[in-house]
Amino acid sequence: MISKTIICPSCKTQMTVQGNPGEKILVTCPNCKNKGYFIIPSPKPISDSISIEINNLTKIYKDVKAVDNVSFNVYNGEIFGFLGPNGAGKTTTIKSMLGLIHVNSGTIKINGFDMKKDSIDVKEKIGFIPEKVSFYDNLTPFQTLCFFCELKGVDKSVVPSLIKEVGLEDAMNRKVGTFSKGMVQLLGIAQAMIGNPSIYILDEPTVGLDARWVRFIRQKIKMLNEQGATVVFSSHILSEVETLCNRVAIINKGKLIAQDTVANLNKYLHIKPRIEISIDKLDGKVPKIIEKIDGVDAANAKGDTLFVTCDSQVRSRVIAALGKAGFKVVNIKTIEPSLEDAFVKLIEGDT
Amino acid sequence: MKLFNPRTMYVVAKKEFLDNIRNKWVIVLTFLFALIIIFVSYAVGSGETFGNMQNTVLGLLSITSFLIPIIAIILGFSTISGEAESGALNVVLSYPAKRIEVLLGKLLGLGSVIIVSVFIGFGVGGVVIALTVGPESWVGYIAFIFLTIFLGFIYLSLAICISAFCKRRITSIGGGILVFFWSFIYGIVITVILYATGGTVDDLLAGNLPDWFYNSVVFSPGDLHQAAVQRAFGVDTINAMGYSYTLPESLSLSNLLIVHIIWLIVPLVLAYIFFKKRDI
Repeated sequence: MISKTIICPSCKTQMTVQGNPGEKILVTCPNCKNKGYFIIPSPKPISDSISIEINNLTKIYKDVKAVDNVSFNVYNGEIFGFLGPNGAGKTTTIKSMLGLIHVNSGTIKINGFDMKKDSIDVKEKIGFIPEKVSFYDNLTPFQTLCFFCELKGVDKSVVPSLIKEVGLEDAMNRKVGTFSKGMVQLLGIAQAMIGNPSIYILDEPTVGLDARWVRFIRQKIKMLNEQGATVVFSSHILSEVETLCNRVAIINKGKLIAQDTVANLNKYLHIKPRIEISIDKLDGKVPKIIEKIDGVDAANAKGDTLFVTCDSQVRSRVIAALGKAGFKVVNIKTIEPSLEDAFVKLIEGDT
Repeated sequence: MKLFNPRTMYVVAKKEFLDNIRNKWVIVLTFLFALIIIFVSYAVGSGETFGNMQNTVLGLLSITSFLIPIIAIILGFSTISGEAESGALNVVLSYPAKRIEVLLGKLLGLGSVIIVSVFIGFGVGGVVIALTVGPESWVGYIAFIFLTIFLGFIYLSLAICISAFCKRRITSIGGGILVFFWSFIYGIVITVILYATGGTVDDLLAGNLPDWFYNSVVFSPGDLHQAAVQRAFGVDTINAMGYSYTLPESLSLSNLLIVHIIWLIVPLVLAYIFFKKRDI
């Protein structure tokens, strides 16, 4: 059984649909009562074929190595997260991928084509949203998208549907100069979608937006990926990357320090889960007792909750020790290690 | 492989035109232009009727070589640096567009705004003069319009060069101001050189000047424009505001046009080199 979040095309209400892959389900919008069929998509296997291949990329600004010998691959159909603290080299790497920055050394291949030699052909298959999106103040969204369609050689008849898809119909004839940041970002998404690119490169697409737009953009990214696109997505919001991405790469001080799935990163970094144990009348001495147990990394108390970092198999020994010491366990919750844990460990280790 | 695709250039030019034709400063200066032409023509006609086209144009020369550069610099000074800073250029260059196509598209699109501005400004003025005192010297007037457009393109090319060179919009403003005041700086420098080489104020007022002094107009697009318009009307000597000067033979219309072309091409080539090397 698969769960999918869909949006009503009439009133934009979000709904969750459950079903088996390939199943056709009649959906009724709870808000506007609009009815329509939705086919549950089959889980998309992530291909082994490489979509983006970066080899030994180096970019030096004066004396600073902004990107230092970075290599990674992005596979067809995956959402690839690109993480790093501010100034780590994420944007420089992304801009290099698009030929916006001249690199000192290294190669970039997209769909097998060398970005230096065949950039014009390659760019036809890419949709890009930069970190700072901006368009032309005196043009309307319609004129803006027509311009980008013409630049890509795409028929302008797609423009109204693109505007509708990002929900800017009401602002179609307003000048972009009067738009809010969120609206400009939506226009950015619409422009990136021109010509149905097979690769999307998004540099911090949700930065500075309010929760409503963030949610919308995340859904759009998921939807584009479900339709078969490869997405490279940089962000400093770890939870966002963790939710959306199949694999992540972490960059710090220009160097790639890790790339894998979130689960593999945690495994490889030996990051242990955390157990939150609610105890009736928790005593200050308890953490010291628990820390003595073999396999427990740390134990801290806050109010009536005991936080224990340990391997899953040690959990029963912790509970037994609490019982032996005469404490009544009210509730137990295991928190699996997050991308944030891996990120912090990697960055701190690198420092 | 083609050096550039004219279609992409046209697409960029069209966008630049649509975005900048609504620039409020360009609109204000265009209408100011038309009003000044009518006013100057009336003043040239001693306040009783409009002056003829030749006298009106000669009266207008210093104003056009002041207003047209302003319009061109306003349009072009941040077309690359400003868009690079805002992020718009990132998006454009992520499309299948070469930098040469974007650069030439910008020149043509912004140049089209200057063409419209000049045609509106001079067109209104020209029609008023033609209707009141007759369309004499109309060939010279049309030549004046085209030379003014040429001047606009030269300043646009200079402004785009500044914009391609400067990393930030704010530094482009400084570059734009320097380009605008170049004619004044040139005037001071050349006069200082004249005095240093034994020239006097009397020589200057009487127009009794060495040829190199006249020929040095090649270093100032504004003065170059004035000399070319004079030649287009067949006026070799001008007596105005106590000054009198006669253009030397070396400053023929064809020679002046060649220098115009050099002023257009050189900054544009430099702009391309800066833009091509630039990290966006």
